[in-house]
Amino acid sequence: MTLEEIRYRGWSEQLTWSWLGWWPIARTGLLLVLRRKVFWIFLGLASLSFLFMFATIYLKAQLTTQNPGFRRFVDGILSNATGTGETYRDFMFAQGTVTMLLLAFAGATLVGDDIRTGGMAFYLARRIGRWHYLVGKLLSVGFLVSLTTTLPALVLYFEYGLLTDSIEYFRDNWTILRGILGYGLTLAAVLSCLLFALASWLPRTVPLVMAWVGVFLLLPATGEMLRDATGSRMWLLLSLWRDVRLIGTWCFGAAGQPRELELLYPSMIVAAAVCVLSIAAVLPRLRATRVVP
Amino acid sequence: MALVLELAAVSHWYGSFRALTEVDLRLEAGPIGLVGQNGAGKSTLMQILLGLIRPTQGQARVLGLDARTAGMRLRSRVGYMPDRNALIPGLNGIEYVALAGEMCGMPRRQALRRAHETLSHLGLEDARYRRLDQYSLGMSQRLKLAATLVHDPDLLLLDEPTSGLDPEGRAAMLNLLGTLARRPGKSLLLASHLLGDIERVCGSAIILDKGRVLSVGRIETLRAARQRGYRLRWDGVGGPFLDTLRRHGVRIEAHRDLVRELPGEPTGGAIGGGLNSGGLNSGGLNSGGLNSGGLNSGGLNSGGLNSGGLNSGGAIGPVVGGEARVIVPAEWRTREFFAAAVAQGVTLQMLSAEEEDLDAVYHRLIGGVSDRQAAFATPAGADARAASSDAQAAGTDARAAGEAR
Repeated sequence: MTLEEIRYRGWSEQLTWSWLGWWPIARTGLLLVLRRKVFWIFLGLASLSFLFMFATIYLKAQLTTQNPGFRRFVDGILSNATGTGETYRDFMFAQGTVTMLLLAFAGATLVGDDIRTGGMAFYLARRIGRWHYLVGKLLSVGFLVSLTTTLPALVLYFEYGLLTDSIEYFRDNWTILRGILGYGLTLAAVLSCLLFALASWLPRTVPLVMAWVGVFLLLPATGEMLRDATGSRMWLLLSLWRDVRLIGTWCFGAAGQPRELELLYPSMIVAAAVCVLSIAAVLPRLRATRVVP
Repeated sequence: MALVLELAAVSHWYGSFRALTEVDLRLEAGPIGLVGQNGAGKSTLMQILLGLIRPTQGQARVLGLDARTAGMRLRSRVGYMPDRNALIPGLNGIEYVALAGEMCGMPRRQALRRAHETLSHLGLEDARYRRLDQYSLGMSQRLKLAATLVHDPDLLLLDEPTSGLDPEGRAAMLNLLGTLARRPGKSLLLASHLLGDIERVCGSAIILDKGRVLSVGRIETLRAARQRGYRLRWDGVGGPFLDTLRRHGVRIEAHRDLVRELPGEPTGGAIGGGLNSGGLNSGGLNSGGLNSGGLNSGGLNSGGLNSGGLNSGGAIGPVVGGEARVIVPAEWRTREFFAAAVAQGVTLQMLSAEEEDLDAVYHRLIGGVSDRQAAFATPAGADARAASSDAQAAGTDARAAGEAR
């Protein structure tokens, strides 16, 4: 067998910028998740509340346009779609359950399989570093989070503006856009880092789901119990989803309840600590080979 | 010729475990083998060459680039095929190879086109849209090779590319690697624990053992270090015979005593007749052994024990003998075995030359036990039974030969 027989040809063209190495990783990560049927089930569930909200805003706009006198009445009935910052914040918060389920199952596909099946050797033997891999995967997870929270919230925001007061709404409520993006970014960052860390140490689906449930169900429940037992509200910080919501409230510029805002800065510290510790936990797992002395 | 690899006193520790010790290498372009048993340090060395691990001590330059500082640039010119699975479940063949190309810095469109080409080179064009979890082991290995080749690297680092393949798949893979090793201006470093694989693809080899380089050089040089060995089987008391051989510089690698049951119709006084009369001692060597064509014509087997023992006297029953594997000096001639046998009154039943293959040379260099040596180290009872069945087979052959005559 010769090189001519297998029609081998060389290749020598200009290479792309090396810092773009994260992009194919992020794209492939998303592709892997989108190919799974279970993802579409969760996305379908996530879109239910979005569709409900979308229809509510549409209905409200139609009713108030046709009968402006009904506005107060309609606002009273459809109180969850007032177009204020709370509307979008509460919508994003309500997406939590489905987002958690989606991430729990996506974690093994996105990260766990690479650790478990030796995919790390495939990635890291190329012209990328560990940080490219990390950024690429975090972006994949971040996009999934955004797909169920930030993007629908943005769609609702623009729908509300376009169907109601148009330009005036956008002009008067631009801080809502900042709030949606800020809350969405915080959600994406915290959840991506945490999922990556858990999936890198628990690469199989079942242990990962159990750990995920532990973080988002058992820890908050424990926090509530400890708060009741000790009387200290600081125990509520154990609920990461609640911490992120508080940061989201701050992003929307909403006043919130003063008692809740007491915990704003501690919540920020908890969220930042989770991100930093997660990345610190991930880095030792990003090796091309396992060392078995 | 430009140096592909330059390693100066490279050592690497994993905690308290020393994976590499003072490795010095200067290798020119071309196909190079890296041989070593599991845990010899092959994979660690490859990681260092890829810039994925910084050596604890020493300097490593690959393709003129410092592996410590230019890891990413280096990896754009190097293709690495890991020994582990390293597949990404959920992707299909073309996506996997194109992704590898993109991550090596190829623009997406070119990576896709090149992925199609590479899969076609390696005979996977029909499987390119198949999911990776449906690939057989042989196909997976070729796919990994395609992902390694997609950006046409200057240096291929292949870690155990034949591991897990059946003999046919292994031969096909080695054939392919042999072809790829001839890419003009390109180099290949093939790591394996099988020297036979290296021999088929590479012109030179590095032998690594417990993190140290034992030998570096051309495969021909390694071949020249081969020893001539023989496997002997005799009937009679072997001690004096082996002592005679030792005095002539023959090294006895392994030996054991055998008690064999001979097939045939038992008759009175068979053992004594068989052993002491012409059957074993005189008939063997003189009639069948040396005079009628020696080793190759089967003279030893038919003329020795069987013609004298079975055919003439009907000697049946347990026969004392032995078996040994010996290494002879370079100037040794085969007939000296017969002379020694005659002198010590034993009958050679079998004498077969065993030229040491490169794997055995390699195991000798690293002080391990080759498969052939290991075969001698099996339990004595099992060996005796095996030898007995050998003798029965030989007896059957001899009877057939007698009937033909």
